[in-house]
Amino acid sequence: MDSATDKPAGRKVLFMATCLCDAFFAETAKAAVEVLEHAGCEVLFPEDQTCCGQPAFNAGDFASSRKVARHTWRVFSGELPVIVPSGSCTAMCGHGNALQFEGEADLGEARDFGKRTWELCDYLVNGLGIKTWSGRYEARVALHHSCHTRGSGTGAAMKQLLSGIAGLELREFGQPEQCCGFGGTFSVTFPHISGEMGKVKLEQVLTSSPDLIVSADGSCLMHLGGLAARGGRPVRVANVAEILRDALLPAPAPAR
Amino acid sequence: MNPQPIDRYAETLARETRDSVSASAAITTEKRVDILARDFPDPDGLRRLAGQIKQHTLEHLDDYLAKAVRALRDNGVVVHFAADAEEARKLILGLLSERGVRRVVKSKSMATEEIHLNDHLAAHGIDCVETDLGEFIVQIDGDTPSHIVRPIIHKNRREIARSFEAHGLGDYDDDPETITRRARIHLRSKYMESDAGITGGNFISAESGRVVLVTNEGNARFSMAPNRLHLALIGIEKIVPRDRDLAVFLNLLARSATAQQLTVYTQFINGPRASTQPSGPEEMHVVLLDNGRSRVLATDCREILRCIRCGACQNVCPVYRQASGHAYRAVYGGPVGAVLSPLLAGERFSDLADLPKASTLCGACREVCPVDIPIPDLLLRLRARAKEEGVRTPASIPMAPFATLATSPALWRTAMTASRAMNHLPTAALPVKPLREWLKLRTLPEWRGGEFRKWMKKRKQS
Amino acid sequence: MSDTEASLFAALRETVSGLAGRTPLPDYDETILLASGRLGSGSEWESFAANFEAASGRPMETTADLATFLKEGGHLRGYCDPLLREKVGSVLQTAGLEVSYEYDRERYDDFAFGITRASGVVAETGTVVLNDHETSDRLAALTPWVHVAVLSEEAPVHRTLSDAIRAFGDCPNVIWVTGPSKTADVEGILIEGVHGPGEQICLRL
Repeated sequence: MDSATDKPAGRKVLFMATCLCDAFFAETAKAAVEVLEHAGCEVLFPEDQTCCGQPAFNAGDFASSRKVARHTWRVFSGELPVIVPSGSCTAMCGHGNALQFEGEADLGEARDFGKRTWELCDYLVNGLGIKTWSGRYEARVALHHSCHTRGSGTGAAMKQLLSGIAGLELREFGQPEQCCGFGGTFSVTFPHISGEMGKVKLEQVLTSSPDLIVSADGSCLMHLGGLAARGGRPVRVANVAEILRDALLPAPAPAR
Repeated sequence: MNPQPIDRYAETLARETRDSVSASAAITTEKRVDILARDFPDPDGLRRLAGQIKQHTLEHLDDYLAKAVRALRDNGVVVHFAADAEEARKLILGLLSERGVRRVVKSKSMATEEIHLNDHLAAHGIDCVETDLGEFIVQIDGDTPSHIVRPIIHKNRREIARSFEAHGLGDYDDDPETITRRARIHLRSKYMESDAGITGGNFISAESGRVVLVTNEGNARFSMAPNRLHLALIGIEKIVPRDRDLAVFLNLLARSATAQQLTVYTQFINGPRASTQPSGPEEMHVVLLDNGRSRVLATDCREILRCIRCGACQNVCPVYRQASGHAYRAVYGGPVGAVLSPLLAGERFSDLADLPKASTLCGACREVCPVDIPIPDLLLRLRARAKEEGVRTPASIPMAPFATLATSPALWRTAMTASRAMNHLPTAALPVKPLREWLKLRTLPEWRGGEFRKWMKKRKQS
Repeated sequence: MSDTEASLFAALRETVSGLAGRTPLPDYDETILLASGRLGSGSEWESFAANFEAASGRPMETTADLATFLKEGGHLRGYCDPLLREKVGSVLQTAGLEVSYEYDRERYDDFAFGITRASGVVAETGTVVLNDHETSDRLAALTPWVHVAVLSEEAPVHRTLSDAIRAFGDCPNVIWVTGPSKTADVEGILIEGVHGPGEQICLRL
């Protein structure tokens, strides 16, 4: 029983595609839109959106980052929920902005924007109240909890949704709290440590012999997938939005 | 672009060292999670409570410190204040010299590391022997501790056995039990022949003035029992309001540090020995050390002063696991050190301004911190401070151009589409060097800039 | 008041008085600290004994057991608090052990065991409480390989750490001992008996 369809249609949401999807992961963004529509939402896409500002924030350039953040909440103005297929960008719009707007006149606006910004799975489960996701997806999945979803509703929501999908088997692996080593510009400025961290993570993940690694963050997946490919042990990666969408496809996704 | 110093250090770290640091840090992390979950219904609630108690104390430190000092003095303790490392060294040397002390035994203390006490005393003819096994090994090797709780996490038994042999502590034998027994025999005579014991302090109760000192080896107790003089160097942030609060911190400290329910020897010292007690100091001095702490209190990173030195953040940190403690070039390494060390450096902040960058901001440290310090937030604030003060750290990537691009939607869309050209360039011809470096270890997915936008537009029209 | 002390307090006052919305001292119920799994369902002595054993301590209930343990381990000479002469020392002497009632610092390596009085125990953690009034000599509880803390019938068995702290009162220097002296400094391998006792015994009379 797909409780997603029990939801009244016509609920409007604003979709933040994220810069990574804009540049690399078009498929993730498309999937997220289709998933939201399946859950009964009308998805609006503000054309002027760019990036949440996180690269500058992480670099400590709060002034530049605030500039981008202000642009972002202006683009997403109004009362509608903002849905993001990324735990990391969601955390930036919430916790990150709250931190960098401390002492700024528009801290209130930053907070209001943060409050209506949701990571996709968190929104489906805790915003819309969807308890299960139906469909079929034949695969052994290693679910990587990206660091920026710590303490949010995303982890549990993701697990809950994926658990309902027929044929999908979640595989456990060691040191689940371990970071993938990406960290945005960290992977550029700390190339050695970043690479080694990624190898540690891959080592753990691959012991569970997954068909693919799934996460709420494309950045982690890009790092892990890229390291695996370069290291000669290619592994499939997919954003959770793609799994949720593909599970609904009439023909089972060929994974194995 | 040069990589960060910590990254360079990690790259040159012996694989064997990296692996042992990494493995033992990971094991301790796992055991810590287990013991907290097994023992307490709400470990996170407990961490938050401990954090609040400490934060409250810090935000009322003038009151609590005054109260603690009164209580200490009522207990017969002589209290001194040291503004910085130099004053602390001078004070301690003075106290020892006035009493003709030549031989000192010392129990592990990060505060004494901070002021580089051993070297100073040695230069003035006072022999100060480290008694914690790890610190003893660090001392004979002329090394420095690389972890708050496990000073020799970076050494293996073979290195230690070679060092013992070189220092006349027996023929080469790398059995940890033999190493420990040899240190035991060597150090017992040091304790018994010493004139004074120096310790740190884990907590001071403002209510009773009890100084709490924990060790597993019993070396703090042993540094005091045969001596007539006890000198404790303690940071001014170590105060807790009441005796009852000690239960909160003691329960968390051992579990967080070593996954023990309680440290083996937990001392509550309220002054010199009792009149009925034949062994133990007749004189007790506490030197309260500022050394930058009051300045840290005045910053927006004051939460770091909650730290109870358990090392859990070091154990869980994926960067520390790769780089080990010496990479941080300071007494405190790992996540806590990346915040505390540049702050304590004062005017030399810029020398250590790269430390807060040594993090993916993954937040694992915050999850394990027994006093709930928001370490990632503090790292970010320090990054912002470095930027504001115009401190150039290696590998700073300028963000102003990014901000301009990300606030110019039309330009952004054009750049997204135009960058597709990159897909046709061979790696070696890519315009940015760091990107080429990046691609040595990783592949990058195909650039599909603009594709989603096009799809979305078409969808709306249909 | 030294200049340093005065200027430090001035700086602290200035800093904290400028803070907006200072954190209040939280009120809390000590049950948040209770490791109830460690208390078990038996008596508090039984919980103590189980936790003390888990920390490599040895709970004992008879002096005869102690004599056997010392003899079998080759711990033949030691010190005993004179106040325990009747109940413990003489029993050990009868069993053939050499007991001194004076702690001689010169013989710190000669005493294989040291017997002192415990001021109580803590059930939750398996901890022995010693304090300066009741410990006849700190060194006697520290230098011998075997330390025996003798718990009298009247000595309190505290349920939790919080209870033990509440009982401090104006008690002088207190030390909690939870098992033998130990280290894991070398490659994380646990070794007992680093500086202090390698055997920690609690004998309940």
